[in-house]
Formats: sequence, structure tokens, C-alpha cells
Amino acid sequence: MRIVLLGLIVALPTASALEITLPPETASYKPSDLPGYALVQRDCLVCHSAHYVQYQPSSSPRSYWEATVKKMKTPFGAPFADEDIPAIVDYLVKTYGTE
Amino acid sequence: MNSKQLRPTRRDMLRALGAMAATAVTTRASASLAAAPASVVLPFQNGERDLVAFPQKRPLIVLTSRPPQLETPFSVFNDGPLTPNDAFFVRYHWSGIPTSVDAQTYRLRVSGKVNVPVEFSLGDLKRLAEPMEFVAVNQCSGNSRGYFTPRVNGGQLSNGAMGNARWTGVPLKKVLEKAGIQAGAVQVTFGGLDRPPLESSPAFVKALAIEHALDGEVMLAWAMNGEDLPMLNGYPVRLIVPGHYGTYWVKHLSDISVLDKVYDGFWMSRAYRIPDNPCACVEPGTAPMATIPINRFNVRSFITSPAEGGKVPVGSSSTVRGIAFDGGYGISKVEFSADGGRSWADARLGRDLGNYSFRTWTTPFKPATRGLYSLKVRAFNRRGESQPLIAGWNPAGYMRNVVETTTVSAV
Repeated sequence: MRIVLLGLIVALPTASALEITLPPETASYKPSDLPGYALVQRDCLVCHSAHYVQYQPSSSPRSYWEATVKKMKTPFGAPFADEDIPAIVDYLVKTYGTE
Repeated sequence: MNSKQLRPTRRDMLRALGAMAATAVTTRASASLAAAPASVVLPFQNGERDLVAFPQKRPLIVLTSRPPQLETPFSVFNDGPLTPNDAFFVRYHWSGIPTSVDAQTYRLRVSGKVNVPVEFSLGDLKRLAEPMEFVAVNQCSGNSRGYFTPRVNGGQLSNGAMGNARWTGVPLKKVLEKAGIQAGAVQVTFGGLDRPPLESSPAFVKALAIEHALDGEVMLAWAMNGEDLPMLNGYPVRLIVPGHYGTYWVKHLSDISVLDKVYDGFWMSRAYRIPDNPCACVEPGTAPMATIPINRFNVRSFITSPAEGGKVPVGSSSTVRGIAFDGGYGISKVEFSADGGRSWADARLGRDLGNYSFRTWTTPFKPATRGLYSLKVRAFNRRGESQPLIAGWNPAGYMRNVVETTTVSAV
């Protein structure tokens, strides 16, 4: 019983704490048969919502998507493999860009 | 530090991915049942956005949900010179944001080239000196990026990534003096409780020159508009750098370090750089020869009423109103044109809330005939700086300050 009570005390926020609950995420990547579709869900959603891709102008060329995917790896430190990059870029430019 | 742990473990990330997959399925399955969220269409290509109420916020324009980046609907700026806390824009860089902060256990660490490293509680900060207060605009470097022509990549914002609030806090100078600045100090860096989602990512850390940090105006604020900061605006303490772009206004401020050299972290040396020339602009589509860190706001002004596409009565006088601001020299004049910029007349300035604040303005407008009118506004500051009639361009989409046009019809 003492252990249960202690757990409650720890779990309850103190009167001086401000706590928020963020709304559920609704954005998702556009489904596609391209192999990059599975990769963006694994490699990109780890860090940010799909909005970052969705809101870019549709005039964004392959060079933009390629530079941005590479930036996510260096210097931003995303842990996906270099081998994933061409398929991710291909999905992005064909789904959200100029091709 | 009793802020919820910010750097997720691998297990957290897998769990988050699982939750996201579930969310995606639910969304698709229930799309026909649940009402679609309210939305707006910003006036540029691919400008559809949801309006969602995040904690302590009214429904705001969602640029991104994780991390939250929320834009203020432009109509709010017509409600008065101060932007309500629940409407104030939100901008984060990394998704490891604090969702729980205990004011009792919060600490601010000051270290580096100081005589004595110091830890301040919130109470310590509030007792350190007589509180200071001023009204100041905060504006995102990329405010209005969506209007760049040719388009540039980055956060595609309309004009709502700005806000004006009364900030209460303690001068940064007092905090630094408590620790004692050592000879040879060059810059001061600032970091907050918001963290990258991965250990391998560069934390969001910004730097100011030591002279700037000691100017007595840069503030550590715990209140905006007389209330605690909302969590998403930096609770419990954020840096206020009046007249300067929001990138420096570090939220959830937790670490200050005094350096004897120029800080070379990613967010200073590679991001938030502008062309090193007076207009911070280059020929569209080209890269600048040299860049410097973004710094002070340029001059901006907006018509807040009537709204774009609005109707005004022909043959009778109505009031056009708006706001103007600059990097802290103060707005000295606002000019209004009802004929697309061929002729200009002085508008009447509203109450002066200080050099860093929005300055409201009004002017009567009496269209003689029916038809479309191209209303324009331009402001001048006390240094005589104004706004260009043709927008400047830079590859990052920063510092837009073209003379704005609102098209209305007289009926």
C-alpha cells in the first residue's frame, strides 16, 4: 500500500507544474507504390510530422528534395542509410514536387 | 530539472511510430464520420492549412504539428496593438519540446567565462532586480515566406508569424553581472529545454555579441501581457531580444554560456544567415556572395482592415486601419495610398507603446466611384528607413518587407 501511494505522489504533477497535452497528429504521407513511401514513414516520421513535406511549393525540383534529404542526414543526424536516399528523394519529388 | 524527458529513447520512437501508424489508419477509417477540421487557404500555391487549438491556444493556422509551428490568423492584428497570448504564433525547430515544466524545480544555469557559475531558480530571477517591462514585437525571420517570387523552400508562412506583447522580466545584464563576466568575453550563447529528437542532431543554440547581451534591454521574461508565458511560447522563461528576429528569442531558457570566441554552432554559422548587404537581398535565383547572421527587423506595415477582397461603401467615408513596426528606432510616419501607389497621404498614428511595439494607424477612405481599389501602406522609421515597392529576394526567404497591397471593391 505504501508503495502504491508513493507511486501516486510521484505521478501527480505538483501544483507548480505546467503540463500540456498536444493534440493528436493527423498529417500523413500520401500513399504510393514507390519504394520511398515505406522509407519516409520509417525514416522521416521519427523526427517530424509529414507537414514539412506537404507544405512545400509543388514547384520544388528534385535538387531541392535531394539537398533536403541529405541535410536531414548531415548535419541533422538522421540515422538512415545512404542507400535509402535515392528512393526517398524519388518518392518526394514524384509525390510532392515537379516530377 | 523536472521537465519531462525530452530526448526519446529508441523504444519511445518505436512507440511513437506505432501510434502514428494507428493514427493514420484511424484518420482514413473515420474520415467520412468525423467532421473535417476547420481550415483556411493561404493566398499562395499549396496554401491549404488546418486550424487547430493547441494547449493554451485558440485555433491557429497549423504549419506543422510536430514540432508545433502555428501561425496567427491575420484578422487578430485588427483587434488591437497587443496580440493575445492564446493567439500568439508558435515556432519550434526540434520535436523534443517540453510538455511539463515545474516552476519550483526549473533552473537556469549561467556558465562559461564567468567568475562564478550560477544556477537561478525562477524565484531567484524574480528577486534579482526590479522587474522591467516593455512592449515588443516578435517576428519570425521567415514571416511571409510563402509570398516570395520565385518561391523559396522552408516554412511556407503567410503574414501571421509575428506578434506584439508586453513582456515582464529581468535584464539579462543583471543575470550576467551576478555571475561576473570575465575579461575577453566575446559572445553569449542561449539554449532551452526544447531538444532535438536524436542525440546526433545539433541542439538549438543561439548567440549574441557580449555588448548586445549587456545592453540592459535584452530581457529574460517570465510574463507576457501580464500572465505566465504559455508553454508553447517558452514557459517559464524566454529570452526577449527587442527589435531582433524571433530566432534569438530562445524559449524555455535553461542554459547561458559566456564564450571568449564567436560561437560556431549550426544555428548561427549555417542557418539564419542573410546576404551581407543593406537590403539583405540578391538577384532572384542567385546565391549571396557573403552572409551574416540575421539581426534587426526591417520596417513593415500592414492594412488590417478592410481585409483583402473586402467591400467598402462608395461615396461615404470608412476607416482604413493597420499596424507598422521596425527594429526599434520607432515609427515616425505611415503613408497610405488608395490608387495603387501613385499618390500618398499621411495616416494618423495611434498611441505610442514604445519603439519596439506595433504602432497602430488609421486613415479615412472615401471612394468616389464603384470599382476595385488597390490600397497600399508604407511606414518610415526615425532613421528614415522605409519599405521597397518591389519585394527583395533571398534564397532563405527571410525579412520580407515589401509595401503591402490590399485590394478592395467599392460598392
